[in-house]
Amino acid sequence: MHVGFIFLAVIVGSVLFHIFTPWYWTDIASNWGSMDDTITLTFWVGGGVFVAVCLFMVYCVFRFSYKEGRKAEYKPEDKKLEKILTWSTTLGVAALLAPGLIVWNQYINVPKNAIDVDVMAWQWGWQYRLPGEDGKLGSTKVENINDNNPFGIILEDINGKDDVLIQSDVLHLKNNRPVKILLRSVDVLHNWYVPQFRAKMDAVPGTITYYWFEPNKVGEYEVLCAEYCGVGHYGMRGRVFVKSEQDYKNWIEEQETFSDLIAKQKEIEFSEKKLAKNNLND
Amino acid sequence: MSSDPKIKGYEFKPGYSGMAADTASDQTMFKGVHWGKAMMWIFLLSDTFIFSCFLISYMKGRGSTPVEWPNPSEVFALNAFGVPVPLLLIAIMTFVLITSSGTMALAVKYGYERNRKMCGWLILATAIGGLTFVGMQAFEWSKLIHEGVRPWENPFGAKQFGSFFFMITGFHGTHVSIGVIFLFIYAYKTFAGHYDKEKRGWFTSMKGNYVEIEILGLYWHFVDLVWVFIFAFFYLW
Amino acid sequence: MSEDFNDSKTIQAQSSETISGGGATPTPDIDYVRPAELPDQDLYHGHSFITKWVFCQDAKVIGVQYFLLATFTGIIGLILSWLMRLQLGFPGAAGFMTAEHYYQFVTMHGMIMVVYFLTALFLGGFGNYLIPLMTGARDMVFPYVNMVSFWMFFVAVGVLLASFFVPGGPTGSGWTLYPPQAILEGTPGSGMGIILMCVSLILFVAGFTMGGLNYLITVLQARTRGMTLMRMPLTVWGIFTATVLAMLAFPALLVSALMMTLDKVLETSFFMPTILKAGEVLEYGGGTPILFQHLFWFFGHPEVYIVALPAFGIISDLISVHSRKNIFGYRMMVWAIVVIGALSFFVWAHHMYVSGMHPWFGFFFATTTLIIAVPTAMKVYNWVLTLWRGNIRLNTVMLWCLGFIVTFVNGGITGIFLGNVTVDVPLSDTYFVVAHFHMVMGIAPLMVIMGAVYHWFPLVAGRMLSEKLGKWHFWITFLGAYSIYFPMHYLGFIGVPRRYFEMYDSPYITSAVGMNQFISTAAFIVGAAQFILIYNIIVSLKIGKPAGKNPWQANSLEWLTPTVPPEHGNWGDKLPVVHRWPYDYSVPGAKEDFIPQTTPPSEVVETKVEKT
Repeated sequence: MHVGFIFLAVIVGSVLFHIFTPWYWTDIASNWGSMDDTITLTFWVGGGVFVAVCLFMVYCVFRFSYKEGRKAEYKPEDKKLEKILTWSTTLGVAALLAPGLIVWNQYINVPKNAIDVDVMAWQWGWQYRLPGEDGKLGSTKVENINDNNPFGIILEDINGKDDVLIQSDVLHLKNNRPVKILLRSVDVLHNWYVPQFRAKMDAVPGTITYYWFEPNKVGEYEVLCAEYCGVGHYGMRGRVFVKSEQDYKNWIEEQETFSDLIAKQKEIEFSEKKLAKNNLND
Repeated sequence: MSSDPKIKGYEFKPGYSGMAADTASDQTMFKGVHWGKAMMWIFLLSDTFIFSCFLISYMKGRGSTPVEWPNPSEVFALNAFGVPVPLLLIAIMTFVLITSSGTMALAVKYGYERNRKMCGWLILATAIGGLTFVGMQAFEWSKLIHEGVRPWENPFGAKQFGSFFFMITGFHGTHVSIGVIFLFIYAYKTFAGHYDKEKRGWFTSMKGNYVEIEILGLYWHFVDLVWVFIFAFFYLW
Repeated sequence: MSEDFNDSKTIQAQSSETISGGGATPTPDIDYVRPAELPDQDLYHGHSFITKWVFCQDAKVIGVQYFLLATFTGIIGLILSWLMRLQLGFPGAAGFMTAEHYYQFVTMHGMIMVVYFLTALFLGGFGNYLIPLMTGARDMVFPYVNMVSFWMFFVAVGVLLASFFVPGGPTGSGWTLYPPQAILEGTPGSGMGIILMCVSLILFVAGFTMGGLNYLITVLQARTRGMTLMRMPLTVWGIFTATVLAMLAFPALLVSALMMTLDKVLETSFFMPTILKAGEVLEYGGGTPILFQHLFWFFGHPEVYIVALPAFGIISDLISVHSRKNIFGYRMMVWAIVVIGALSFFVWAHHMYVSGMHPWFGFFFATTTLIIAVPTAMKVYNWVLTLWRGNIRLNTVMLWCLGFIVTFVNGGITGIFLGNVTVDVPLSDTYFVVAHFHMVMGIAPLMVIMGAVYHWFPLVAGRMLSEKLGKWHFWITFLGAYSIYFPMHYLGFIGVPRRYFEMYDSPYITSAVGMNQFISTAAFIVGAAQFILIYNIIVSLKIGKPAGKNPWQANSLEWLTPTVPPEHGNWGDKLPVVHRWPYDYSVPGAKEDFIPQTTPPSEVVETKVEKT
């Protein structure tokens, strides 16, 4: 008898744990509430099946445990029952799959008004690039990356001139405005993941991947790398600030653009040359 | 060999219903098929997956590399009498290998006829055909290496050309070489009469049987077939 | 081997029983079984210690060798998991634990447990021991090749363990070995470690292929008289289908391991795009890392079922024997195994929803993945329906079966979360994934292995294991393992990413510290509890109750050998003849509650057997 009771306790305990757990998802801060809804739906259906099957098992343990001389039923098959179970399972699975596919369709189709954000990853850090007034990011090339061109922007591309460069792991986003995260990596796989936004995608060297979300809660969030990328993986963090329109505007105006950077470098080069010349003249 | 073997108490049915009946019967699924032969077929199925993975990787790699792929009819051209003839060597190699498949098939035939001498000579001929193929492949490799193609670099274009070429032809060449070694061993065993005398094998202590030649033949035909695919994917695409 | 049937000879029949057909009125003999197609197998009998116990050609000895070596590597994997849990629960408690070590342990734990422990144990161990016995063969069809298979595995394990002692240590790139990081500096063991790992995998695949061919041909071509495919125990069906999967899936692993080795050793660029490392562009260029992921998971997902299908098969037999009832819906169970096996080749990219592959793949792979849930659910229903109106012996074996059902259903349900593409997005690469696959392909198959050990130990050793120790072992393992992995799902909901050496003080992670300590403590206890089994085995070998013949009153052939434990050649002078399926338990009208497969119908005329 104790066997049945312990299994019963395990099942009841699981349900109670789920109801009273202090550990559950972090408060959502993006438009992907639909993802949470699909999880909840799967929880109800799946949890229901789990409890039903296990309770049935426990009942059998109570009711049919060994008695000398009793004979088990002899029934190799029950076509009707098997058919009912197959079709109801298929139905349940379809009910879980359909919403999943619908939300996935939203996930891979980016809204037109989304702001592109170039997230560049390396071992082990992040930096970001936002489009300038033209709303377009300049194209890039890994070979172009150097101290003077930290993002490897192709110099001939005019779209790149006014790109806003953020050489730090702190990104600011405008509240209630969709962003399209364009991920690239210069070395190994990475994944730019903010648990509160729910969404994620790997950054793969040699190609650009994307996903989108719409932050809808002003605040500060932590960025984690969610794809193993070597020994510094666990320390590869960043931060995101979601800001109101005005705060965001103030912030972005302070940032440096690519042409600012080039100008600054020319100035430095120029002054260095001048310095060298002066030294020579002396 | 094409007719169904006689099995006491078992009636063969034609067509799909026969297949279903064989499957549903006891003891064996493939009636009268030697264990070793069945084993070789399944091994070859597995090997097919290996070569498919190689060739699919090749297609993916060729499709996604940003640098241009070299033109095969230029890279693989051979100078004959001062004129570069595209694919000349490969054509000869392919011809030799396919011919060796023919001699192998004849060897199997003579084996089942218990014609020891003919069988042995034909296996030897197959082995020499295989050896010629490997030799010509070595020549082609050295020509490409001489021209600067390496697994890690390629003066004619995409790096992956060298990588995939050496890897896939190397893997196939290894198959051919292993086949050649076994062909020589089997030729010796045939001439020495191990299959007629049912002499037990040195390692396996199993009795010798001419069916072993057919099993090796299956392997050899498979290796040839794979070459046809490699030929098509590397040289004609 | 003497099955030299040429066309010149007709096949010799062993039996002189009447033959039906041929136009004449058939003799109405209800016990008639077709005569033997094949002559008796010609076996090499070892006669020295070396040929009997070391380089042995007896599948049963090879099975035990596989079992022991796999268990040995499994214990190494267990110790590695302890070290990892120590770091996660109590950061800094083990002084030598650096991030490098942690990642190396993660990698080796994963690879050892999946490939060198579970696969080798189920297919090499149980497959070798049970296939010939359950199908009524004298041995595997090519005993010599079978022996080489084990020794290849031995060398593969040797190479794997050697990587602990090379400069740089074993690879720390995660068990998935994703390039580029697997072969670049910045990942521990990116030098010799990853090379040895690839070499070891290639050796494993080569060795496994030799064994796998044997398992397949033995099932297809060497069954005894009367043993049709649909009279085979589900254990054989599970192992057989898993072997088919392995024969078709391992090629992808072999190819990916070979290409990765070349990328490392010859600096080819199969998987390597242009890479900037420490301010310099490397020699690599033009390759695609995603290709490796496709190849790896084309192996990796069938691999899950290579472990799961034998477990499904074995558990079906154990439940049936110990609830004294036929397995419910045998035909459905067989078809479910076959369908799951076939579908498993079309779902691999569900491991790659957020890998950056073309997003449209998501639709296809989510659909195929959820379709697999249907046959799997049918199997679960049939297991619990087998218990229904049974006569359930609540012994240790049955406890493991019940434990399996709970953990497998739990892990299967979380699989539906992860297989459904949208739900996977927030959960992938978090502890939810870790909890899911440990529950479904760690703990659940382990429950089956344990149940199988308690079930078949009397056959292998001729003595029973202690029930009392067994119950302790079960309860500690089951309750402990459940309390490790059930709460762990909730770490995933919080968003705790996997493969983190340390969490520092991220806001949503501080709440998880207590849970991590609890999980780690439970892991230490569960791991330690496994030594109860080892103790039990050692003691029972000496002083266990003699098992006698067929201690569980089972029907299948392995219990019907003339001697227990069975000798080389299994069946003595005469091969068994099979008259029925292995699930005739509690047949109405029968004197006993079981009818062994070899019982001819004439001996049980009074019974009402629905199907034989």
